[in-house]
Amino acid sequence: MNQQKKVLCIEDEYFISELYVRALTKAGYSVTVESDGKRALDLALTDQFDIILLDLMIPTLTGFDVLKALRSPDNNPPLHAKVIITTNLEQREEVREDIEKQADGYLVKAEITPRELVEFLSHIDF
Amino acid sequence: MEYLRKFTGQVRSRLFVVLVVDNLIFLADWVITDKLLHLSGIGLAGALIIVPLLSLTLLPWLNTRYLAQPTKLISEAIMHIAPETADTVPSPKLESASLGKELVSTMVHQLYQLATLADEQAKAKGQPNDLHKNFIATVLPLPLITLDTNQTILFANKAACDYLQVHEVDIVGQNFYSVADMAFPDDQTLDSWLKDAKATKATAIGSWERVRLEVSESRPLRLFDLAAYYNKANPDHIETMLVLFDHTSQYSQDDQAISFIALSVHELRTPLTLLRGYIEAFEDEFAGKLSPEMNDFMFKMSASAQQLTAFVNNILNVARVDDDQLVLQLHEENWRDIVRSAADNMALRAHVRGITIEYSVAPNLPTVGVDRVSILEVINNLVDNAIKYSGNSKKIRLSTYLTSDGMVETTVKDFGVGIPANVMPHLFTKFYRDHHNRAQIGGTGLGLYLSKAIVGAHGGQVWVKSKLGEGSTFGFTLMPYAQLAAEKKLNDNGEITRSAHGWIKNHSLYRR
Repeated sequence: MNQQKKVLCIEDEYFISELYVRALTKAGYSVTVESDGKRALDLALTDQFDIILLDLMIPTLTGFDVLKALRSPDNNPPLHAKVIITTNLEQREEVREDIEKQADGYLVKAEITPRELVEFLSHIDF
Repeated sequence: MEYLRKFTGQVRSRLFVVLVVDNLIFLADWVITDKLLHLSGIGLAGALIIVPLLSLTLLPWLNTRYLAQPTKLISEAIMHIAPETADTVPSPKLESASLGKELVSTMVHQLYQLATLADEQAKAKGQPNDLHKNFIATVLPLPLITLDTNQTILFANKAACDYLQVHEVDIVGQNFYSVADMAFPDDQTLDSWLKDAKATKATAIGSWERVRLEVSESRPLRLFDLAAYYNKANPDHIETMLVLFDHTSQYSQDDQAISFIALSVHELRTPLTLLRGYIEAFEDEFAGKLSPEMNDFMFKMSASAQQLTAFVNNILNVARVDDDQLVLQLHEENWRDIVRSAADNMALRAHVRGITIEYSVAPNLPTVGVDRVSILEVINNLVDNAIKYSGNSKKIRLSTYLTSDGMVETTVKDFGVGIPANVMPHLFTKFYRDHHNRAQIGGTGLGLYLSKAIVGAHGGQVWVKSKLGEGSTFGFTLMPYAQLAAEKKLNDNGEITRSAHGWIKNHSLYRR
């Protein structure tokens, strides 16, 4: 990696963020964890992150709200971060399609191990 | 369908329908031509009350169990709309009809015809009131829509307009499919049924369960059963009459059941994510430093966690299949890559049981149109079963080749215990267990049920061959992409969307 990429991990399950931080740090990313929706959104809007991992079930603001705010046309210029949804929640097909349209990636956490997450992120084009 | 089972036999029911319809037509002629009754609204209603009662007396041999309910409903419907009793007789409980909706709709159709004829008679006599608009079809508490030969809406009663949340003036003269964007549980849609009826029949009756009316932002989802009566030679230009039986609340409760499963799955997945993550962290830290035994334990933990993840997905997908929510996106894929990735995926699970997966891929296979995730689940399920029933055998063979009729066929062969002949016909049934052979077949019976649904949605077929003591071969076919793309219309993204039940939009225009 030429330049260290910055990841914001929005995740309220501490054990999961612990695993992700470990794997991502080992792979050379710098990782910030935030478990609260509102605070995570404020942090994300500073536009200092390259990748945002976004859980959908988080306190104060849901992941849907955060995603909407991140993609809002009010953000001028738009945020440069790639937003990857990381969830274990199943959506109805139409909801999932809607999320996929707005996000850059969609992962079911139980389907991937931290190592596979790192692998997935390495394929993102910046 | 549920209510059809309540008939003692198809023959009897058809005979009954024919007889009742004939009686009604006969009576209609009788009423009108012989001028037995003056065709005022009251007189006609009176005549119509006689109809079901007469049917009852004309067919005394018919079991009253089948007759009483719909007859009562129709009587109630007539009483409900007849001017002199309208205030006192409540609208009938059509939901409780234990007899076919087809029959109810046929009767409604006849009532409508009578009203129309009465209308014409009234007009001929210089009475300007539009009887049929103010009469049965209008006041009938069932949503009712009539279409002409081009499926243009001729008439929609008040109940139908309320149900669709539209005004009659806005929809009359419109193409029905542009007004009601319906989706059916299988390939037999209203559209395809009508085409068939037009081509081959003078009259036809059709019914569907769980029809969905697609939602727009402002309109809530409607779920209903639909009955249609088709009559080619209808003098009134009405070719098709549709009657809707709303079941939104009942069917959407079923939808909530899937939410319950989705929530449970979420709760199961969180600890699974952690288990798999921590196992992997251990592997990272201790790779090469563990004794062979500990290493083996690590593999077994990892394989078990994988298997549990796959099982959780099976539960979820079965719920989706049952609820028409499993939607597949078929893309052009290289089948060799997918088979290899499936074999790799399953290698650990096979390895911890001392089993090797051999795989062979025929050269020059055409690309296939598949939903990668779902079709991998099919191979995983078949291989998982093969592992489970391998007995003392240590080999599973995964092969894929082109059949003589141009399908891409994939087989999973084990050399284990085999399947008893009496179990074979039930293998693809959900939760099937044979109590005599429980120990031999085990499992939950979800994987094969799901595999069949997924392969079916791809346009392929699943089959099994087995011999006790020698092992089993499960196989499935897939269409080459070129063939699939030629048969199914691609959407804007160049992909093909299908559900496990081939959930297809009603009209070819809307077919996804």
